[in-house]
Amino acid sequence: MSGKTIVMTSGKGGVGKTTATANVGTALALRSNRVVVIDTDIGLRNLDVVMGLENRIVYDLVDVVEERCRIEQALIRDKHAGELYLVAAAQTRDKDCITAEQLVDLCRRLELDFDYVIVDCPAGIEQGFRNAIAAAQEALVVTTPEVSAIRDADRVIGLLHASDIHSAKLIINRIKPEMVRQGDMLDSSDVLDMLAVDAIGLVPSDDRVITSTNNGTPVVYDSQSPSGREFVRIAARIDGEYLPMIDPVEEQPTSIMDKVRTLMGINRKTSAHV
Amino acid sequence: MLVMAAERATTEQDLVKISGRGALVNLQIDDSVPVEAACRTLRDRLASNRHLYAGGAVLVDIGRRILSDDAQERIRKVIESESGLTIKQFWCDPGVLAREQERISGLMALYSRASIHTNGPDQTGVDDERQAESGPTSNVDDEVEQPPQGTRPSVPADIVRGTCRAGEVLKFPGNVVVVGNVNPGAQIIAEGDILVFGTLRGTAHAGASGDSTAVILATSSASPQLRIGDFLAEEDALGGVAGRRRDESDEKPIIARVQNRAVRVSPYLKNHSIDHGGNPNER
Repeated sequence: MSGKTIVMTSGKGGVGKTTATANVGTALALRSNRVVVIDTDIGLRNLDVVMGLENRIVYDLVDVVEERCRIEQALIRDKHAGELYLVAAAQTRDKDCITAEQLVDLCRRLELDFDYVIVDCPAGIEQGFRNAIAAAQEALVVTTPEVSAIRDADRVIGLLHASDIHSAKLIINRIKPEMVRQGDMLDSSDVLDMLAVDAIGLVPSDDRVITSTNNGTPVVYDSQSPSGREFVRIAARIDGEYLPMIDPVEEQPTSIMDKVRTLMGINRKTSAHV
Repeated sequence: MLVMAAERATTEQDLVKISGRGALVNLQIDDSVPVEAACRTLRDRLASNRHLYAGGAVLVDIGRRILSDDAQERIRKVIESESGLTIKQFWCDPGVLAREQERISGLMALYSRASIHTNGPDQTGVDDERQAESGPTSNVDDEVEQPPQGTRPSVPADIVRGTCRAGEVLKFPGNVVVVGNVNPGAQIIAEGDILVFGTLRGTAHAGASGDSTAVILATSSASPQLRIGDFLAEEDALGGVAGRRRDESDEKPIIARVQNRAVRVSPYLKNHSIDHGGNPNER
């Protein structure tokens, strides 16, 4: 088996990298892939909490690279999904205690045994970021429809290009359809136009994510959750399935006036694109 | 599902066509697929027959599209590393190329007229400004002796294709034409003029070594800051907020130049600008 390593990155913090990693990883595993997710946010580990695996951690990433344990001992099996494993970050160390080469080496070894190795990248563009992208063949860039997040995503895409990762795909997270319709939030097409990359998922804002994060159960298990459903679709797209992109803004027009506007072709969005 | 899989299989096949053409290998890349997908297929196809190709030369036909330098470089890398073939030439449909050249020459025509402008009807304004300036403006005299008015129809310029992203700082010794967007947080710095065939949302500094006759032209602009020579655009002249929602005013071509010791940004209307300089509304 020879899998591939995908880095989940964003530049800006708090846009949903870790949530996306947990959910995409889980959804890929539910599609019968062997998946390992690696938390490289050393010193600020989160992924284990989001996945509800904190109490199972014995060895972490730093233990593996410093050879205090074998890889298998640091692979924490997920509670729910079959072949999903986590390599947790160390809580007490910092980003400089592993090198890019060590992480590359680890990922190459994991690729032999897994279909997907997903690396959860820390925020920022410093050493931790450079480590995380060094091993990846592909990248998913997470952003929200806010100018600050988009600016950082743009910078990160430039840095990925410079590191020879040209296949960056965009996840636009926390889209609020209502705000977009009112013209108070950037439209997905504006974001994609500016960043000049393809989208792999348009994730609506969804309070269920907060609940699920607090419970340590990824939101992809919640079939009622619009964001969970989109993360499932993202996993399918990563897996090579062709699923048309669904813009949450067009998916659920709420008010009657909006429907009328859409029918008459005079909503803001259409006029802005003429 | 099965149908879809079958469809995918055929497209994979047709994505890249490899044939012999005398001593040359002819490689056709389907122009409807993203470069990235083409590279993937290319890698698979070439790697499986590596021994066949090593040492040969290849003509790469990219069909009816123009690729950015970056994309061409990616294809070049894949081909050279996976097959040992040397790329003799990238070939694309002459019609597409002609249209692209037409677009660029159209822009260059706009651009040279704008330059005529700066040296032409505006001359008095510029002169006033020069007299008003005191102190270290030694190079101004040299400039006066420079090209006779209206003789900059074929201006040499560097051409940048593709998106300029946040954090990138691109510097040029002369004029530059960007065919693509300049994103917020990117900087274009040129000693000469800057022409952006795309949306300028980043910072642009024309005449970077002090030439206040330089101009900045963009097919649309929401730049937070434009600089020409030692001058800065007035904030209210721009009204652009980086990355904000597009509206119609952003979609119009603009020209920025120095007038009365400040950078003025005006809509660029090619008919008007031939007749007089500056903002037609101010006349």
